[in-house]
Amino acid sequence: MTEVSIERLTMDYGVHRAVDGISLRIRNGEFISLLGPSGCGKTTTLKVIAGFEHASSGAIRFDGNDVMQVPAEKRDIGMVFQNYALFPHMTVAGNLAFGLEMRKLPKAEMQSRIAKVLEMVQLSSHADRYPNQLSGGQQQRVALARALVIEPKILLLDEPLANLDAKLREEMRVFIREIQRRVGITTVYVTHDQAEAMTMSDRVVVMFGGKIAQMGTPAEIYDQPASVEVAKFVGQVNLLRMKVEAITGDGGMDVSGPFGVIKVKSIEGAAPGRAVTVAVRPEAIDLVSPSEGQAATIASSYYSGSLMDYRARLADGTLIDVQTFPRQRFADGEAVGLSIPADRWWPLEVTA
Amino acid sequence: MNPLASKKRASLLLIAPAALLIFFFLVLPYLTIVVMSFRVPGDGTPYAPGFTTGNYLHFFSDSFFLQQTFNTLMIGAICTLVCLVLGFPVAWQLARGNSRLRGIAYGIVLSPLLVGIVIRSYGWTIILGNNGMINRTLISMGLVDRPVGLMYNTLGIVIALSHVFLPFMILPVMAAIQGIDPSLESAARSLGASRATIFRRIILPLSMPGIQAGCILTFVLSLSAYVTPALIGGSKVKTMAVTVVDTLVDTFQWPFGSALALMLAVTGAVIVVIFARMTRMKWKAA
Ligand SMILES: Nc1ncnc2c1ncn2[C@@H]1O[C@H](COP(=O)(O)OP(=O)(O)O)[C@@H](O)[C@H]1O
Ligand SMILES: [Mg+2]
Repeated sequence: MTEVSIERLTMDYGVHRAVDGISLRIRNGEFISLLGPSGCGKTTTLKVIAGFEHASSGAIRFDGNDVMQVPAEKRDIGMVFQNYALFPHMTVAGNLAFGLEMRKLPKAEMQSRIAKVLEMVQLSSHADRYPNQLSGGQQQRVALARALVIEPKILLLDEPLANLDAKLREEMRVFIREIQRRVGITTVYVTHDQAEAMTMSDRVVVMFGGKIAQMGTPAEIYDQPASVEVAKFVGQVNLLRMKVEAITGDGGMDVSGPFGVIKVKSIEGAAPGRAVTVAVRPEAIDLVSPSEGQAATIASSYYSGSLMDYRARLADGTLIDVQTFPRQRFADGEAVGLSIPADRWWPLEVTA
Repeated sequence: MNPLASKKRASLLLIAPAALLIFFFLVLPYLTIVVMSFRVPGDGTPYAPGFTTGNYLHFFSDSFFLQQTFNTLMIGAICTLVCLVLGFPVAWQLARGNSRLRGIAYGIVLSPLLVGIVIRSYGWTIILGNNGMINRTLISMGLVDRPVGLMYNTLGIVIALSHVFLPFMILPVMAAIQGIDPSLESAARSLGASRATIFRRIILPLSMPGIQAGCILTFVLSLSAYVTPALIGGSKVKTMAVTVVDTLVDTFQWPFGSALALMLAVTGAVIVVIFARMTRMKWKAA
């Protein structure tokens, strides 16, 4: 059980700044995801925590102890790589034993630990197989087992599910999260897949260009995005330009737009007459009869089995994405009403 | 005709040119040598009518030839070891080093292959000779007062052969190292392995296919090398290949020369097989 604290961590590759002054505290046993597009510095952050790369500046502490000078092989970290990085010339048991041999554990304890972890990842019967005799999902579980068997302080995973097919990926999300809970290990999980980050994590750290754009629970990130960038990266979103009518005393403001005047939380820089961008998620919108909501017509629709995606056109031509369950279907061109609960509007930024 | 049979015929046709080539230029000459090695030595002619096992008896009863076979095998083994020890770090640099240096290093490694073997060996006589570069440097530095014998001895042959065959070690080892995923080293480090342990437990076993190929190539090539040992060894130190040529060309003993050549080939092959067995891998690359 370890608490990790990262302070103003910066990592330069020559002139290129891959990680730009990030600060982060990870609690004991917490599951944190680093989420961001490719090239935003997630892997680099992980490598610096693991000790494979030396930070240009900043500090990393495990339980308050500065580890910047501790080499990777002494940091006591369990790492799972995207391509698994299993030793091809060792059996599953051999791969698991490797880290224990480095720790000079007695043979008997080694065997009992390996057996325990193999059972946890449901591979007890595969101990004597070589990695190339296993499926992708099994290799993934061996990689997880190899990282956990050394009972490390921290578990680091770099896009561990990226090479699996969609179905297996979803199964493995749950699998990894359950094992992490059971072991209670502090975990940093790197992914560019927002659904993965949302479903697995206690907290999500959204990164863009080497910086932390937002940090919070999955619900906070999704419902209260800190910026247009975050809102767009995490799920789909409708962004509407509105005008500030009045700042109300209770920390809110009235804004007007295609949906008339609505009340939202006030944001920095807002003043009457300024333009603001306001977000609303497609699934926050209900399709009702034209008389009950904002009038619109269905422009197009996409059926995906469990969900229905519509694009609706307002009277002024604005296109709004709506996501519903396909219980009630609407045809293209049909007149509908859009109903949006007042608390689902989220103001993002003042634009003019 | 059923499609499977026609497919089989097509593939036979495709390998036919290579098979013919191998037959006429490898199998046939070898058979000729085997037959020749059982012929009766002639008097004034290369061989006389009839067949005999006498040539082999001659080989086994003369300690000179046994000793020379042993020496030749030793030279081959030492060259192989030298090439491995010198070549591995170079192969590592070529496979993993930074890209700008890699191009230059690659050129340097391949350059010996671009110069003819005769010229290269003459080059070594200039460097190794009593009045050569090494000895002059050593004397002028006052490290020795008489030239050190580097020519006309085993040491000189080993030095020159190692240089000649170094690329044949480096290239396969480099290819093997390139095939090792660098994240395996990261994984081993995170599990607590030191650099030495990573080398011993991960890098070395995984580059074994390349080491094996490189060792077999250098060993076989050093056994059969003629020009380099002939020039460096002169008349003082002879390897089996040199003696074989002497026997065939200078003294015209075709049957006995053939037997000598075959004995060298057979002992070399036996050693290669034993080595391949010993270094056989239990796992297969993914
Ligand atoms: N070894 C390296 N040398 C130079 N630049 C690098 C190196 N590794 C990563 N980078 C650069 O640093 C940035 C962040 O990379 P990375 O941390 O791998 O991103 P992510 O994992 O989020 O996709 C990228 O722009 C990448 O090109
Ligand atoms: Mg990455």
